[in-house]
Amino acid sequence: MRPLIAAFALLLAAAAHAQTSEISARIVDDEGRPVADAVVVAVPTEGGVRVPARPREGMVDQVNQEFTPKVTAIVVGTAVRFPNHDNIRHQVYSFSPAKRFELPLYAGVPAEAVVFDKPGVVVLGCNIHDWMIGYVYVSESPYFAKTGSDGTALIADLPPRVYAVRVWHPQLDASEESTRKTIDATRPGPASVAWTLHLKREPKVRRAPAADGRGRY
Amino acid sequence: MYLTALRRAPAILAGSALVFLCASGGAATALALDVDAGFLYDDNLTRAYAPADIRADAAVTMDAATAASWVLSGSDWLTLSAEARGEFYNRFTGLDVIGLGATATYKHKFGVGLEVPYLVLAANGSNDDYHSRIRDGPRFELRAELGKRFSSQFDAAFGARYERRYGRNDEPVVPGVSGRVFALRGRSVYVRGGYDVDDRLHVGAELEVRRGDVVASTRPDFDIFVVSDAIAADPTFGPDFFAYRLPGTTDTARINGSFALDDRSSLNLVYADERTDASGGISYRSHRVNLLYAWSY
Repeated sequence: MRPLIAAFALLLAAAAHAQTSEISARIVDDEGRPVADAVVVAVPTEGGVRVPARPREGMVDQVNQEFTPKVTAIVVGTAVRFPNHDNIRHQVYSFSPAKRFELPLYAGVPAEAVVFDKPGVVVLGCNIHDWMIGYVYVSESPYFAKTGSDGTALIADLPPRVYAVRVWHPQLDASEESTRKTIDATRPGPASVAWTLHLKREPKVRRAPAADGRGRY
Repeated sequence: MYLTALRRAPAILAGSALVFLCASGGAATALALDVDAGFLYDDNLTRAYAPADIRADAAVTMDAATAASWVLSGSDWLTLSAEARGEFYNRFTGLDVIGLGATATYKHKFGVGLEVPYLVLAANGSNDDYHSRIRDGPRFELRAELGKRFSSQFDAAFGARYERRYGRNDEPVVPGVSGRVFALRGRSVYVRGGYDVDDRLHVGAELEVRRGDVVASTRPDFDIFVVSDAIAADPTFGPDFFAYRLPGTTDTARINGSFALDDRSSLNLVYADERTDASGGISYRSHRVNLLYAWSY
């Protein structure tokens, strides 16, 4: 009997897998260069989305006085830790409406993770090192992916539905909503979508040194 | 002069080692090494008002500093640095200098965030060994600055400095008149602003007003003589040149452009225009241009 049940379960799993879809996204800038660190989000046009009850914990590291990764995409409700691997303490904060928080000066790994319970973009800063800037994109949908250095992202294991797909990037010079496209992913296999984004200057304090050349003769 | 500086090198190395040792003893420290090198051109090194006495020259400049920072709280930190600097002139080698010094800088932010105001307090001490003896000696500077970043691109600050320079060698040439021409005091206030044009290019401007002692080197000049309180021979500019110390006010306008090559280095161009009104109605003007490569680790 047991082998029969196992075989049935395998069949069900295979059938379920066969019914999933993928959305393959490719993003370039005005000059055709691949855009890394863009977050592509897919939301079913009909019916709600089921967000995992306990999403896997996220992590934003601090290495060489920079947030690593610079852009982190998570689903709403995710707890994120902010370990500090530098030999100097950091004080991480955000004043973004989606999450206001402050981690008082610390080294190592703070005991408490920060739970991001509202969708939106959370801009991270460090009060000691003004040039440090990072982003946590909190998605209302569990279906999202971040582009790599080749400008591509793949949202896999999608239930076959029609999706409203949009993209966000720290330098996006338009509203995220204006990038919305409707993608039919009802048939198995990958559906492709592409964007050409106009990027603006990143609001980052310059880190490079400057010399004032103050002559003292 | 160079031998003297070399003899003092162990002291600065010991200081640097101390900074490193202190820094490595605590988890809340960061070490930095800053170096810059480049060229300097000054069109009135003598600070003379008579055209016949004006001398211009170019120099190679080098600065190096090693610094340790301690984060005291989420809004306060302290940086201690040990510094060495050198200027080497093309024609007037008497101005060649090696300076060794140290700086303590305390910074406080009035809150949390990129755009909160901040206060900087800094104290610097150094010893300068010039090729010309009359310029040798230690100097100290205290600085306080209040600033604010208005966005990630634009920041502005105003501040005040007090500086004191001691002349090691007293070589009077006029009986009853001090020969410590380069024993100087000065107070200044300044305002500055900086703007990041794009990811790489930063431009800045600064206006400074300084009141205190100034030194003009000229051939014997009665108008300067009568308002000077220290006089010494200044063979740096010629056998018939004398350096005169007199009180004056110097207005300096400075503009700079800094082009980031990457996160750790930049090319910098600085232009300064100085106008000095000294006692006795004596006025002179000088312009200075620096081209510098800066590197930080």
